[in-house]
Amino acid sequence: MTALLDIEHVSKRFGGLRAVNDVSFSVKEGEVLFIVGPNGAGKTTLFNLITGFLPPDQGVIRFAGKSLAGSAPHIAARLGIGRTFQIVKPLRNLTVLENVMLGAFLRTRSTTEAAAQARKVLAFLQMEAVSDLPAHGLPLATLKRLEIARSLATRPKLILLDEVVAGLPTAEAMALAELLLRLPEWGVSAVAGVEHVMQVVMRVAQRVVVLDRGTLIAEGIPADVVRRPEVIEAYLGAKYKQVTG
Amino acid sequence: MTRKRALIAAACFVLCLLVPLVVDQDYQLNVLFRITLFAGLGLAWNLVGGYAGQLSLGHAAFFGIGAYGLVLFNEKLGLPIWLAFVLGVVAAVGAALLIGRVAFRLRGPYFALSTIAFAEVLRISAKNLTSITGGDVGVQAPALFDTHPSQWFYVSAVLLTALAFTVTALIVRSRFGYWLQAIREDEDTAMACGIDAASTKLRVLAISAALTAIGGGLYASQFFFIVPDQVVGLEISNEIAIIAMLGGAGTLTGPLVGAVLLETATELFKSWFQEAHLLIYGVLIVLVVLFLPEGIVGTVARVWRRRKAGS
Repeated sequence: MTALLDIEHVSKRFGGLRAVNDVSFSVKEGEVLFIVGPNGAGKTTLFNLITGFLPPDQGVIRFAGKSLAGSAPHIAARLGIGRTFQIVKPLRNLTVLENVMLGAFLRTRSTTEAAAQARKVLAFLQMEAVSDLPAHGLPLATLKRLEIARSLATRPKLILLDEVVAGLPTAEAMALAELLLRLPEWGVSAVAGVEHVMQVVMRVAQRVVVLDRGTLIAEGIPADVVRRPEVIEAYLGAKYKQVTG
Repeated sequence: MTRKRALIAAACFVLCLLVPLVVDQDYQLNVLFRITLFAGLGLAWNLVGGYAGQLSLGHAAFFGIGAYGLVLFNEKLGLPIWLAFVLGVVAAVGAALLIGRVAFRLRGPYFALSTIAFAEVLRISAKNLTSITGGDVGVQAPALFDTHPSQWFYVSAVLLTALAFTVTALIVRSRFGYWLQAIREDEDTAMACGIDAASTKLRVLAISAALTAIGGGLYASQFFFIVPDQVVGLEISNEIAIIAMLGGAGTLTGPLVGAVLLETATELFKSWFQEAHLLIYGVLIVLVVLFLPEGIVGTVARVWRRRKAGS
């Protein structure tokens, strides 16, 4: 398998804060990779760097072999990088269907075709019941799914999921995890950033990358990574140390 | 918009075109001209301010360029009158692309302020370039119509409004229309959907500026004599924006409703309150923003939808 996304020695500073510090890793085609780290570890910054919302200070980001340096966000989307926002950003006064159609419009000019595509995605995410409701006033769990639906409708090769399960009750999070497992049906690789929902990580992740204050401290398969003492110390805390150890 | 609605709209515009057969007094036709013209201008503004959510308070810039374009290309350069009219519109599109390139770097209230600034720069330039524009003394505008001017100006205003309405209806149904709304709702999300927000905003501003400049040219010729404060002033910018917001920004028929209400009211207030009508304007803006943020059509549509969903 070839690398779809290559991140090489990427750094980003905000003033004195090293938000992302010399991070390197890659994502293979068809892979589901999780980035684990608490708030402030640099996950969202990393996603913003990959999708062109922020330019990196140093390092190279390559997507499908091409450098993304300095590309605007819409270019990254057109190349096939979809993303969701940690703080959900629905198009509030449009319906759920219209929200998803806006993703689909990336690949078609026709309104009917976009609606058909959007309905397919909504069916996959089990959101048909709400498709004609306006996006404002929907519960968080639905809005998190809407983020995924809109992004999936752009038919990305890679989807960056920023804290899609954060703030959800366990049952909701696990239901979403089952859907994430089916992402390969859409021919899409995924990078998901999560803070601490380890059940989802263990269920879905093929590989895990651990960030600590902007630095990558561990990488590997989930079962191994969560047993490493430095990871347990830094992220999962004493509680997990007892459970796993 | 369904086929049935399109037919109803077409029938309404045809009826409006027939009005001069019944109404023949110049004063009445001039009032109707003003209402219809500002309906068209409100529709033009609505593309940028309503659908794309970019609050322009500087549309007088495009209006003024349309007005002065007609005058200057015709009187100073001696070009045929209708060519001068078209060149004024082209100049406004050029100005829109320049202004947009700078102003769209800003978001929200900063964008609104920068549009005011651009229009003011133009107004003050027009006041001081006396050798070209005549400054505050003013300049005579060429007559677009030699016979039955009141009738023809009214008919032209109806055609402008019909054009703006059709353009809006087509845009709203298209991908471009969805893009505009996505930009209004959340620009980051729009970009994550692959939308080139910067060029989309520029394109819609260019379309809006062209329609606005057509209105400016018609207005100048109908008024016969123009000064900078009148055609590039803040009042024009505000009037256009308020019409769309009062009627319902981001709705297809809102600017039509807004124009009829506001222009009729202005006409009455002008004779009753003289300059105090500006005060009423101010109060109206505050009331609309506070109590009717969706405008009349927007609010009615929401209540209607809720009723329908409830029954």
